[in-house]
Amino acid sequence: MAEPVSAAAVAEFLYREARLLDSRKFGEWLDLFCEDAVFWAPAVGMDGAHTTIPELSLNFIYIVGRAGLEARVFRVESGGSLASNPLPQTRHLVTNVTVDSDGPGEVAAFANTQVVAFCEARGQQILNGSYEYVLRKENGRLRIARKKILLLEYVIDGYFDFFTI
Amino acid sequence: MVTNGVRPNRRGFADYIDDRPGDGVFRVDRAIYNDPDVLEAEYRNIFEANWVFLCHEAHVRNPGDYFATHIGRQPVFVVRKPDGGLGCYLNACGHRGATLVTARTGNTKGFVCPYHGFCFDTAGKCTAVSAPKTGWTEAHFDMADYDLTPVARLDSYRGLVFGSLAADVPELRDHLGAATALIDIFVAPAPQELEIVAGFSIYQTACNWKIMHENGPDAYHAPVVHNNFAQAVNFREKRESRSGVARTDTGRLTGRIESASYDLGNGHTAFWHKRPNPEAFPIYAQKAELEKQFTPGRVEWILGRGRHMTIFPNLLLNDLASTHLRCYRPLSVDRMETMIWCIAPAGEPPELRAARLRKFEDFFLPSGMATPDDVAVAESAQKASFAFNSKWTSMGRGIDFKIDGPDAAARELGMAPRASSNSWDHEIAMQGVYRRWLQMMERGEEHRRG
Repeated sequence: MAEPVSAAAVAEFLYREARLLDSRKFGEWLDLFCEDAVFWAPAVGMDGAHTTIPELSLNFIYIVGRAGLEARVFRVESGGSLASNPLPQTRHLVTNVTVDSDGPGEVAAFANTQVVAFCEARGQQILNGSYEYVLRKENGRLRIARKKILLLEYVIDGYFDFFTI
Repeated sequence: MVTNGVRPNRRGFADYIDDRPGDGVFRVDRAIYNDPDVLEAEYRNIFEANWVFLCHEAHVRNPGDYFATHIGRQPVFVVRKPDGGLGCYLNACGHRGATLVTARTGNTKGFVCPYHGFCFDTAGKCTAVSAPKTGWTEAHFDMADYDLTPVARLDSYRGLVFGSLAADVPELRDHLGAATALIDIFVAPAPQELEIVAGFSIYQTACNWKIMHENGPDAYHAPVVHNNFAQAVNFREKRESRSGVARTDTGRLTGRIESASYDLGNGHTAFWHKRPNPEAFPIYAQKAELEKQFTPGRVEWILGRGRHMTIFPNLLLNDLASTHLRCYRPLSVDRMETMIWCIAPAGEPPELRAARLRKFEDFFLPSGMATPDDVAVAESAQKASFAFNSKWTSMGRGIDFKIDGPDAAARELGMAPRASSNSWDHEIAMQGVYRRWLQMMERGEEHRRG
């Protein structure tokens, strides 16, 4: 799949990913990620700006390798996490999808996002932000090599997890 | 009708605490978590009447660095003055009271009020006002009238900066008391100064501040609330065959281990647990260095024990999953705000720093794999605090195992707690918190009545 990928195909991929999260098909969602995938939601400094060097600064979530994501899924599905039991319902609104670059092996894409979550214990939570993806062309399909989530909010009401951002 | 911040059906704050050690009973009336009058009284008798934690000196390292925060309800900011000393002022312009410092942190030569342009230096002096000659005659104009109001007391211990709005408080060192020995241990591993690692988190929780303050010294909850954390991390480590500092020591959450807890006096608490895998911690790389510097007993405290402490009423320091500094404040009777930082030795090798941070992110933060469960439990306890017909929260666990004064481990450190117990899952430290709470509430109300 060295041919260019259309913006529509990228958007379609992102929508499908969001739909898997919203329908809690976390196993299928994990399959979208490469084994060496990076899942990164930076925290902010005291000035409100996102941290930039993930290895050496604090992040909300910084996972290198799909096993870390699998552990997150394992936890929320275990039933033992009060914060995740029952799992909040979510709807991911993914918009403004643009393809920033399209190389022989990888596509870089951007999208805006709003995720509405609801659970009875905490009511509605809305988290906004943007996604920066690196999608790898692998055996005729796209897979996520890197997903960076830049959250707009940094004073957090309650808590959030991989499926509510 | 409200009398002295206590509901009419209560004679005083003592009615909130059922403290009968002889009968093996220590209980707290759950209305303590949801009565707005109690919070009002806590603001004036606790938060605005004694030392509270403000920030770390690393937040205000250079002249002109400032850090805006709160003491109780009152906005303040800490600033490093040109002479290297610290100042702390109410964050309200001396003129019409607009917020003077609007950013959380920054660096400046002076402050200009965004409302009418009054200027202040870092010593809090008003240095200029807009168009003074056309607004006041000389007889009625004194620039000093607009100087910023400093807090009554400001001091720091081992980099931890505290302030008090009340002047008649003990020296900070005496206020910290037995806690200083453990703060020293927290600081000791740094070959140079401790630094605040880039990035922080701030989150709001729908519970009374005391419910979260209790969650700190409460290790009893960990194997229940955080079992899923241990399982998830163990799952990942098996999957990835992790080793060395990349591993996370979850032994503390899944098995019975040697531990102790302390009522440090003045409402401060601590506990420790033996680390099943001390080599999983970045500090282990300094073993040889530490052994040259300190006695074997002290080295065991630093390397072999996970440590946790709370300084009443608003600071939590621990070195359990990772090195961690947390402070909090009530926003209302059922809402609080927490700020949290990772703190680490300056100049730490990058691979150790990275390992420290990943452990931190795994556990803490509103996006971690453990803090959300603490928050969920705390919020559920807040809701259940309205079960007035079942009004007592029990904190009696360990009461029969209490040792007055230090245990052997505390003596090794030269630490003089008020009481010790041989398990981190005992609740004697929390009893110290509430005895201090009652003492401050009663003392404050007596003082108010004159």
